Amino acid sequence: MSSTDSIYLVFLVAGFTVGFGHCIGMCGPIVVSFCLGLKDRNRFVPNLFYNIGRTVTYTILGGILGAGGSFTGVVIPMQGFQKGVMIFAGILIALMGLAMTGWVAIPRIFSSGYSPFQKFFNTFQKLSKSSGIGGFFALGLLLGLLPCGPVYTALLSSARVGMEAAGPWQGALSGALVMFAFGVGTIPALLLIAGLSDMKWLKNRDIIYRIGGIMMIIVGIYFFVKGIMY
Amino acid sequence: MKANCCRWYVVCVLLLSSMILVVSAASASSKKKTDAKANCDIQAGACVQALGEGSVTLEILPRPVKAMADLTFQVTVEGFSPDGNPGIDLDMPGMSMGPNHVTMEKISDSAYSGTGVVVRCPSGRTLWQADVTIPGIGTKAFRFDVVY
Repeated sequence: MSSTDSIYLVFLVAGFTVGFGHCIGMCGPIVVSFCLGLKDRNRFVPNLFYNIGRTVTYTILGGILGAGGSFTGVVIPMQGFQKGVMIFAGILIALMGLAMTGWVAIPRIFSSGYSPFQKFFNTFQKLSKSSGIGGFFALGLLLGLLPCGPVYTALLSSARVGMEAAGPWQGALSGALVMFAFGVGTIPALLLIAGLSDMKWLKNRDIIYRIGGIMMIIVGIYFFVKGIMY
Repeated sequence: MKANCCRWYVVCVLLLSSMILVVSAASASSKKKTDAKANCDIQAGACVQALGEGSVTLEILPRPVKAMADLTFQVTVEGFSPDGNPGIDLDMPGMSMGPNHVTMEKISDSAYSGTGVVVRCPSGRTLWQADVTIPGIGTKAFRFDVVY
């Protein structure tokens, strides 16, 4: 096994271990929020597609960094956009939480008729009513851009393998494979969290969904504030 | 009716136990955070630690030492000759950030240099740890704060 081959294994294992530590703490609340939003619907397939979307974003980013061979040159300009993604995730989670508590009818929040808000609401409504696959894949693609320490570390290695590669194409492939391995490694932990948040076994789930809704509002506010401060 | 009460009892117990678990995990994690303190003011200059019968010096440039910036790590050894080039592993105490290794090259008889990046954690924590490994001698942990 060459040193480049072993780095894929290193990041597959790193993704797995970081998944059960860091990701559960930082991204677990997002997964639980989306799962509670699914209520009684199947949660494995939408979550699988959310994770595939996230891994696709990681792989593309890894390819870009691997081709360029520079970490700071790509990631620093991207940070402003990542801040926006974090704020968006916060708003989305808080809105899903509000909808779940049933205290506020979501359409009322956007009743001003202001078109950008209306568009946002329509997207949100489509997402929550869809079978989950397309919407969750798109969410995964977007939230794969969330700022995250271990993702930055894996991207740093993508840039390093790119620097050592014979050319930009080989660098792009190696960088993409590092991030793909890392992304795949993080999936089991987040799927486990999704599975644990299944409340189907409960007969009267309304109160749980209300508590879940309140938790989602808190998590949403947390992400929003962190995003503003980032 | 009785079965329903039992289910609710189970749910309440489960919720209570998860709350206890979350609170204890949070307190354990905050304890970890307070236990790990900086032992090196890297923003002020190089840090020196005793190792075996000699010492290891770590300096990170440019200052201020910022996260998400290209940094030069310099290690100087005194009192022993290593079996090979030292290496640095960067991580956050108590929160794994994934493998971040700085490879070093010899620049003089006792000095080594390498480039790396300290990544940024959205949690806002700034404490980082650099484990400097000197082959054949040992490892020293330098804990320092970076600037965001």
